[in-house]
Amino acid sequence: MLVTVVAATACGSGGDGTNGTSRAADQIPKPGGTLTFALGSDPTCLDPQQIQLSEGLTVGRHVVDTLTDQDPQTLEIVPWLAESWDVGQDAKSYTFHLRKGVTFSDGAPLTAAAVKTNFDAIVALGAKATLGYSYLSGYAQTVPVDDLTVRIEFTSPTAQFLQAAASPSLGLVSPTTLNRSPTERCSQPPIGSGAFVIDRYVPSQRVDLSRRKDYNWPSALARHQGAAYLDKLVFTVVAESGVRTGSLQSGQVDGISAVSPQDAKSLQEQGLTLLPTVHAGIVTNLHASPTPDRPVVSDPSVLPALQKGINRTQIVSSLLNADYRPATSILSSKTPDHADLSSLVRYDPTAAKKLLDDGGWKPGPDGIRLKDGHRLHLDVLWVPSGFGPEQSTIELIQQQLAEIGLELGVKRLSLAQFTPLYQANDYDLFWARGTTRADPDILRLIFGSKKPAPAGSVQEGIDRILEAQNAITDAATRRSLVEQAQRRILETGYGIPVHEQTTIMGFSPKVRDVTFTASSWPRFTDTWITG
Amino acid sequence: MTESLATAATADKTDPVPAPVTPAPDREPATAASQSGRWRRAAVFLVHRPGLVLSAFFLLTVLIAAFFPTALTSDNPLRGSVAERLQKPSTDHWFGTDQLGRDLFARMVHGCARSLQATVLAVLVGLAAGALLGLTSGFLSGWIDSLIMRVVDLALAIPALLLSLALITALGFGTVNIALAVGFSSVAAFARVTRAEVLRVRTAVFVEAATSCGARRHQVLFRYVLPHACGPVLVLAALEFGTAVLAVSALSFLGFGAAPPSPEWGSLVSDGRGYLATAWWLTTLPGLTVVATVLAANRISRAIEGEREESR
Repeated sequence: MLVTVVAATACGSGGDGTNGTSRAADQIPKPGGTLTFALGSDPTCLDPQQIQLSEGLTVGRHVVDTLTDQDPQTLEIVPWLAESWDVGQDAKSYTFHLRKGVTFSDGAPLTAAAVKTNFDAIVALGAKATLGYSYLSGYAQTVPVDDLTVRIEFTSPTAQFLQAAASPSLGLVSPTTLNRSPTERCSQPPIGSGAFVIDRYVPSQRVDLSRRKDYNWPSALARHQGAAYLDKLVFTVVAESGVRTGSLQSGQVDGISAVSPQDAKSLQEQGLTLLPTVHAGIVTNLHASPTPDRPVVSDPSVLPALQKGINRTQIVSSLLNADYRPATSILSSKTPDHADLSSLVRYDPTAAKKLLDDGGWKPGPDGIRLKDGHRLHLDVLWVPSGFGPEQSTIELIQQQLAEIGLELGVKRLSLAQFTPLYQANDYDLFWARGTTRADPDILRLIFGSKKPAPAGSVQEGIDRILEAQNAITDAATRRSLVEQAQRRILETGYGIPVHEQTTIMGFSPKVRDVTFTASSWPRFTDTWITG
Repeated sequence: MTESLATAATADKTDPVPAPVTPAPDREPATAASQSGRWRRAAVFLVHRPGLVLSAFFLLTVLIAAFFPTALTSDNPLRGSVAERLQKPSTDHWFGTDQLGRDLFARMVHGCARSLQATVLAVLVGLAAGALLGLTSGFLSGWIDSLIMRVVDLALAIPALLLSLALITALGFGTVNIALAVGFSSVAAFARVTRAEVLRVRTAVFVEAATSCGARRHQVLFRYVLPHACGPVLVLAALEFGTAVLAVSALSFLGFGAAPPSPEWGSLVSDGRGYLATAWWLTTLPGLTVVATVLAANRISRAIEGEREESR
């Protein structure tokens, strides 16, 4: 499946789209117009360097530019604000040659000093810049070599940095705005060098953006040069999925995010354009506690049996739709260095039962297995994410696991209740919706231990592989290390993948040329509206 | 409202049979005759009020569902066959099946126990705590009365559902916590009504007589005041039942109730929302059941209220 989908192709209109003379009138991009796009939740913060939510990053992507960009299809890193770069031999330093003539929307020019101010500021934000700070782990300093050359240095090898530099979390803003307090930066429009500027933000309602007429430095991936086609871009917040669908059907909005899989068919039948994108990064999974002091979950036979006891194909075919795929590894198939490890996650209830039998878990009177007085019961912590079929998926997994004699309890929590339990490793399993990032280093962030693991433990072995893959620039060696890491995580059952994370976006047929970033957020810089 | 069994009861007063102080030998047949007349009148009363009969019948079914769910359905509410997912209501599945192929009727029936127990608990909490506060306040008067009533004023100023939401956030998720939250938010109303009744009864001649005869305070309170003050409070409790069903369902709809896959009425309505366009029965039928229960409870409490007014 393509991540970059051209709306015009998807809605089936004719024309080859390349030959200027044979193009129909509605095939030639036309500047002007307003696009209204409904998000499922509030961006909560406008500062791209601080946001974690994909809604916020979607807005931020239009306001800030980054040093590099990533091709959503080939996942290759391409130039943007940096025309070229040199990587130091040990992946400890990166030298970027900046593009000339780039300005922020307050008129300040992009210089090596501005890059330094930005990166220093992200590191100074610390935990407030959750994503950016983790991308810059091991950051030593930024050295402005000359006005348009800048070198970023790390204390340890950081292979993931070029990809990280393509994320809006490391987007560049005007140095003057960095003097504001973190809270002010969240609530006030950021001053970036992007194709759009934010005019107004009404929390929980809408963000209004308008285009920069003098914009002339699009990424190497852009389909046209110069300013964006759209005059205005409006993001509205419509939380209820049914209302979002209705708003699109009635024409109140031109596009919506997060279409429920069960609504997709009827929308398509009504002639609306649906653009599904599979997210790169970690798939939707059950994340197991690595702590050895929980008797049931740390039993060596339990998690491997659980891995084999889930029928992923049934989940996808009955609760989701054809745009979703059963997971074949803990990394999604769109992630670089993803290894197809289907054999490790195949549904095999007989093997699962045998594992439990061999592990000493004997079926009890009600079908649930027992060992030394312990019931084979695991609790999964679940913070509802608003994704419709999520609860049904968990309930179906409960049913499937009951077949092999494992009782899965569900504890529904708010994020505030979940966070301390997560920090203290005080859980058996938790439901992880998936984390989007088009680089395998996401494994280190999610499955690396929070504090150093005991020497000789399984977790320590995984940590070692994860550290090693970040320290290596050789593509082949890194690929094999990443595969080892995926294999270990699946074999131990620390990550129990369920299905790949897909987002379906719906658009009115008059919206053309919506593209996507490698992180599957829509990008409206090439988008135009017909008629 | 004049419709009530009391019509029959008042009519008895005109009966030629004297109310005997000592049992008369010819009392048996006369009572039998008056009893058969009473039954007839009751039947006529009910025939003229099909809504009340229907309400009573419906609530009875709901109560059976709550306490003997297996009497109404043999299907498993937690396990379904995925192959039979999203089937329309039919003779096999009265309410259709959900996205996992579970029988929705079975889930409603089993969910009934949880929802109704929470409702009963909520009303009991409200009634017990509210009546106690009202009784204390009305009987002791003075600064205690003022203090309790100002707190009650404060509680009444906050919308009940909002107060329950705040409480549930503090208590955590779960059916029992929902019941407590809804119960506590109705304490103020119960306290206010009880206090008003106590104030009325306290000054009655028989209470003053009891006091002047040397009855102790607690004797006066529990033997004379309480029995005469509890009528309106019980009517309020019946009325509150309907409101509590709604509040319990609302909180469960918002996801504060039992963890999945346990069914509750509110969570069943909520779970079906995503399928509104493709499987209308998943939200509509549970929703209509909640509406019917609330209406039935209100209809019955109105009938009781009518009877009380009639007998005054």
